[in-house]
Amino acid sequence: MSFRTGFRISGSALTAERVRMDVIANNIANVNTTRTPQGGPYRRQQVVFAPQTAVPMFQISSSGGRLDTGRGVRVLAIVENNAPGLTAYEPDHPDADANGYVTYPNVDVNTELVDMLAARRAYEANVVVINAAKAMAMQALEIGRV
Amino acid sequence: MPIDGVAGIGATGIERIAGIGTGGQGAAPGAKAAAESFGRLLDQALEGLNRIQVEADASSARLAAGEPVDLHDVMLAVEEADLSLRLALQMRNKLMEAYQEINRIQV
Repeated sequence: MSFRTGFRISGSALTAERVRMDVIANNIANVNTTRTPQGGPYRRQQVVFAPQTAVPMFQISSSGGRLDTGRGVRVLAIVENNAPGLTAYEPDHPDADANGYVTYPNVDVNTELVDMLAARRAYEANVVVINAAKAMAMQALEIGRV
Repeated sequence: MPIDGVAGIGATGIERIAGIGTGGQGAAPGAKAAAESFGRLLDQALEGLNRIQVEADASSARLAAGEPVDLHDVMLAVEEADLSLRLALQMRNKLMEAYQEINRIQV
């Protein structure tokens, strides 16, 4: 096990948070999309994270616990939220139904912005972890130096 | 893993060099074998180091070419290359120290 393992774990988290950021960007970009290939308005998408399955190392400590660490995080799926969207009375809109109501996407910009902040902070935190891991490796190189 | 290869030198390389003195019979062939293994170890270490440097170089080239590479992946590759270079430098310093120490032995 080397310092590259720590880098890979945090790197996987950075990738996951970037995917989350892309999904949020897509949600905000489609906040007014009323027509999709599947029919109906755009539906809010959310990412589902899962831990990356650790390679079994067959290492058992004296107390019987596992000694192998995890391998980071991965994006398991991007799922659509099925909550109903807002409707607005716009009879002239090409996507209006028989009663003149247009269904808009169930994307709430405020929620998305809060999610975006969370993603940013999580990304930042993982960068801090990487820098700490690097600082530890640099300290290890100082061993024996006079 | 290349890093482990570099780290391995510290122990085995110095042992081998130290072995010259205790070799006893036939100083010349012993020294020759030690010189060969010393060079080989250095070769292996540098090859491992070079592989990481090339990886980092390739990923930054892909980014520059506009391919969809994650920025942080490039930075991580560059950081890994930087750290392994530093590790190799430290190992080089240790090896050279040991080599010079043995060179100074007066017979």
